[in-house]
Amino acid sequence: MFGLHPVAFWIAAGIAAVLLITPLLFLVLDKAGKLTPTLSTDLWTRYKSWLFLTPLMVGPLLAGRLPAIIGVGVLSLACYREFARATGMFRYRTISAVVGLGILLLTFAAADRWYGFFVALSSLTISLLVIIALFDDEPKGYIQRVALGIFAFSLFGVCLGHYGYFANGPAGQAFLVAILLCVELNDVFAYCSGKTFGRRKLCPNTSPNKTIGGALGAAILTTALFAFLVHLIAHGTVLDQPVHLIALGLLLSLTGQFGDLVMSSIKRDLGVKDLGVTIPGHGGLLDRFDSLIFVGPAMFHYVNYFLGLGLDQPVRSITGQ
Amino acid sequence: MDDWQYKPAGDHGLKHEESLRSLRRETGLIGTVTQSAWRLAVRAYLRGYHRLRVDGAEHLPQRPSFVMVANHTSHLDALTLASALPWNLRRFAFPIAAGDVFFETPAVALFSAMMLNALPMWRKSCGPHAMQQLRARLLSEPTIYVLFPEGTRSRDGSLGRFKPGLGMIVAESEVPVVPCFLDGAHAACPANRKMPLPLPLHLRIGPPLSFAGVKNERAGWQEIAAKLEAAVGALRNGGAPPAVPQA
Repeated sequence: MFGLHPVAFWIAAGIAAVLLITPLLFLVLDKAGKLTPTLSTDLWTRYKSWLFLTPLMVGPLLAGRLPAIIGVGVLSLACYREFARATGMFRYRTISAVVGLGILLLTFAAADRWYGFFVALSSLTISLLVIIALFDDEPKGYIQRVALGIFAFSLFGVCLGHYGYFANGPAGQAFLVAILLCVELNDVFAYCSGKTFGRRKLCPNTSPNKTIGGALGAAILTTALFAFLVHLIAHGTVLDQPVHLIALGLLLSLTGQFGDLVMSSIKRDLGVKDLGVTIPGHGGLLDRFDSLIFVGPAMFHYVNYFLGLGLDQPVRSITGQ
Repeated sequence: MDDWQYKPAGDHGLKHEESLRSLRRETGLIGTVTQSAWRLAVRAYLRGYHRLRVDGAEHLPQRPSFVMVANHTSHLDALTLASALPWNLRRFAFPIAAGDVFFETPAVALFSAMMLNALPMWRKSCGPHAMQQLRARLLSEPTIYVLFPEGTRSRDGSLGRFKPGLGMIVAESEVPVVPCFLDGAHAACPANRKMPLPLPLHLRIGPPLSFAGVKNERAGWQEIAAKLEAAVGALRNGGAPPAVPQA
């Protein structure tokens, strides 16, 4: 449909419909007097952000393989920038430049469909980070600078980079749109089921508002939704069996929630409330995209192991003949 | 094992526009690239178009922090003073620029922040708080301020009175203040001119002064302003600065 994978098309249409209906829902609730003025302003700010954010996120995925890969590269760079400014890593320009270079090369490897290089970049960039930090000739704080550089590159470069490479696979577009939808809804499900059933705190020191009820509720609802979507995308393949569908759904929900907790931990350690101010009502990019970080590699390697993403055949569409 | 120390950017948590105007703004990788490119271009322009000559560069301290003060007749002044710094010090240089000119609209503020690395001074409401912020930054991290204590461009090229606000930044501190005099900028690009004329510029840099012994209060600030005004005036009248650098 319009050159899109049918599942990707229907998900995009569904998201568009929800975005259109939401303001009407707000108006109805407001008229009925269910919303306090502060809650109402908060909801509208968040809604307006989603209105900008959704096309920015879904647009490149629908636009095709290269826009999706470039979009992921830009997201990785923006996430590193936020992390660097919150930790102070941005003051170490050579380390930051190497992280940036690593992200650009990962993006290139994905665009080129050169999986060998994509994999090699993890160890090569990490080696370069460790070595380049020597050139300051300043042993004080060396381990911290290097470790933070490697940490950031692993999370925002390597982990997020898997989304870019995913776009190369069969039905990559549909998988990416479905993953994005389910990761975002995973947060919503956790919030709603936490409000409804949540009593016992999950990890009060890391994130005081999370409850075990919320985590379980999200796991059940997200698993059901993602299993259904994968059933449509991978219809008739080896993945289209209950055991794989449930495993994929659970994996997505759990890795999504872990990503959220990791970023909460980072924020607590830094002593900041938000990592940035990019998205009004949400905070920084990382406050919004934290749950995506570990889902990408988990989904990528699961799907590749059982279904195959064509990685064993080097394509090298740019560097090949 | 001791805890790791994290120091978020001074402007962390500020919205984009506020951050451009913040006195605590810190330059990242992107800004470093744009500012370096800008400085290269300005240097070539000043050397080529204005045949800039610099005397007394040996008076500049080897390391930040310090303050450069000069007479003010033209938009070329801050560019010229920053350009006189050796390359390894240039990225620490912050021209202190009029907020109502250089930070009024978002586009101009973006240029001032990303290219000039300027910090705003709001002339209508330049209270002690802004001075305190500038002072705190100067004393706590490597910083070079380029500032013009007359507070505005001289319309006839003469040296105006130095305002005492500068004293709040440097009184009771060891931070050196380097007096400079830029000759030719008024002829090349006076306040009422948009495009500069290809006339020569001559920058004279004098030996640094420091005001550790001057009390951080009104009388002290006035004393500092008067001393610096005299030092810049001497560079104007005396021509070349003394050749022997101060220890």
